[in-house]
Amino acid sequence: MGVTPIRPGELAGVPLGRRPAEPIIEIDHVSQVFKTSSRRDHTALSNISLSVEEGAFVSILGPSGCGKSTLLYIVGGFVSPTSGTAKMKGKPITGPGTDRGPVFQEFALFPWKSVLGNVMYGPLQQGMNSAKAEARALELIAMVGLTGFEKFYPKELSGGMKQRVALARTLAYGPEVLLMDEPFGALDAHTRTRLQNDLLEIWERDRKTVLFVTHSVEEAVFLSDKVVMMSRSPGRIREVIDIDLPRPRRREELLLDPRYQNYIVEIERMFDDSGDNELPS
Amino acid sequence: MKGALKHLSPALACCGLLLTWQLASLGLKNDSFPTALDSLRAIPPILTDKEALINILASLRRMAIGFALALAFSIPLGLLMGRSRATAAFFNPLLMLVYPVPKAALMPIIMLWLGVGDVSKTLVIFLGVSLPVIYHSFEGAKAVEEKMLWSGAAMGLSAGERLLRIVLPAALPEILTGCRTGLVLALITMVTSEMIARQSGAGNILFNALDMGQYDTVFAMIIIIGAMGICLDAVFETIRRWLVRWSEPQFDMPLSFS
Ligand SMILES: Nc1ncnc2c1ncn2[C@@H]1O[C@H](COP(=O)(O)OP(=O)(O)OP(=O)(O)O)[C@@H](O)[C@H]1O
Ligand SMILES: [Mg+2]
Repeated sequence: MGVTPIRPGELAGVPLGRRPAEPIIEIDHVSQVFKTSSRRDHTALSNISLSVEEGAFVSILGPSGCGKSTLLYIVGGFVSPTSGTAKMKGKPITGPGTDRGPVFQEFALFPWKSVLGNVMYGPLQQGMNSAKAEARALELIAMVGLTGFEKFYPKELSGGMKQRVALARTLAYGPEVLLMDEPFGALDAHTRTRLQNDLLEIWERDRKTVLFVTHSVEEAVFLSDKVVMMSRSPGRIREVIDIDLPRPRRREELLLDPRYQNYIVEIERMFDDSGDNELPS
Repeated sequence: MKGALKHLSPALACCGLLLTWQLASLGLKNDSFPTALDSLRAIPPILTDKEALINILASLRRMAIGFALALAFSIPLGLLMGRSRATAAFFNPLLMLVYPVPKAALMPIIMLWLGVGDVSKTLVIFLGVSLPVIYHSFEGAKAVEEKMLWSGAAMGLSAGERLLRIVLPAALPEILTGCRTGLVLALITMVTSEMIARQSGAGNILFNALDMGQYDTVFAMIIIIGAMGICLDAVFETIRRWLVRWSEPQFDMPLSFS
């Protein structure tokens, strides 16, 4: 496994004043090699470079096992890459921080806290008083459509409901960058559409940077400014496609827009051409 | 109807046991095996005797102190071991050596060093309770889902806060399972320690009565100590269930008399 050296000066010249098109996240020649329990090396990510502009909505699309989650963990600072660097606002990422909010594929809710307790957790941790934190939590719980379930414990929720709590919990503490790992994977089509719209609305209002992992080509095109297509064995970036569709986006309009349909067809064809035909689901 | 049956069944089991005992002892006619009735009749005199009550309370006090100290020491240690490889590597060999040794077997040495008083007995109880609590805390902490800790870290919790506010509650069901075992072991080591170091306590009454051939008192004390164990366990189980109500499956079969 060749390790690509980081060429000094390659990322130099990041100006101090931040303009809108400034990269907020820079992933530079990142590789991730895991030792498996059978003591073999397994390359999950191979020489990934990607820069994400502040306020951009970027989707990561790729077959199962191509390293999408691993890439998010590296940006989140939960895993440090075997080689290469990831930077946030020009500073190397050395660990997790409140500026990057993950929504995990596995939800990872706190089972001893109620729905309300889970969503309030972040705001309380940041020193918000409990009345304010509760008001904020209730607002987000309503947004994800779980009003009436505030007192429920995670074990009493369905998979899709847990996913929505996880989303609300992360939004509650207002991270600058959202790292979302298939956050709508377990939802029915109707709820999924509704939450996509809500997410877009929040995003259009706050212009948070979003890294969004998904299996759905349609979802990626609908939401994103940029779609990063990954391929497997070992995980690398195949293509980065700019989605040039007007905003604010409305589903009814897009469905009639030939450009929207072209993007979907084009991306699906690219996946069909490659050996990775686990996608689209 | 079902609820009534649920509450009645332990009582029925007790009655059945007592009846079998009564018949067996009537049939055997052995001096060292008094009837259930005689043994039950010996209970009120013990419970109204000031001396005996002081003894029993002293036992309970030692047990409570030993148990509490053991929890205060073992839960943090077990959790640390579960989350830090270095801590686990350091303490594991030590614990593996201590684990199979019957704690009561250490009593003579402890008595030699610390005398036959409260300190020795409390220490033995402490040792007896510690190991299962350490073990279960360790297992519980090891099993905490990594992404839960990551979520906490992303919300700004420091390593110490994560241990206290994520690992501890997440491992609580497992920790309390260890504590329940520990509670029963506390009772056992309490009686054993008083058997070895006679001086005061419920065990002392029991073994003195045995020496003097007062077999109804012996059996009465066994019933009293047994009842104490059952009550403590039932109280603990109620508290435990309340504490982990967020994790229990709805359909559990209760294994206690609560
Ligand atoms: N801790 C680990 N140890 C060893 N291998 C790992 C580990 N975590 C991930 N991998 C491997 O890395 C590869 C990428 O995993 P990752 O979870 O990032 O995939 P993914 O793209 O998110 O897949 P999915 O769409 O199914 O969630 C997989 O082949 C997996 O086997
Ligand atoms: Mg994944």
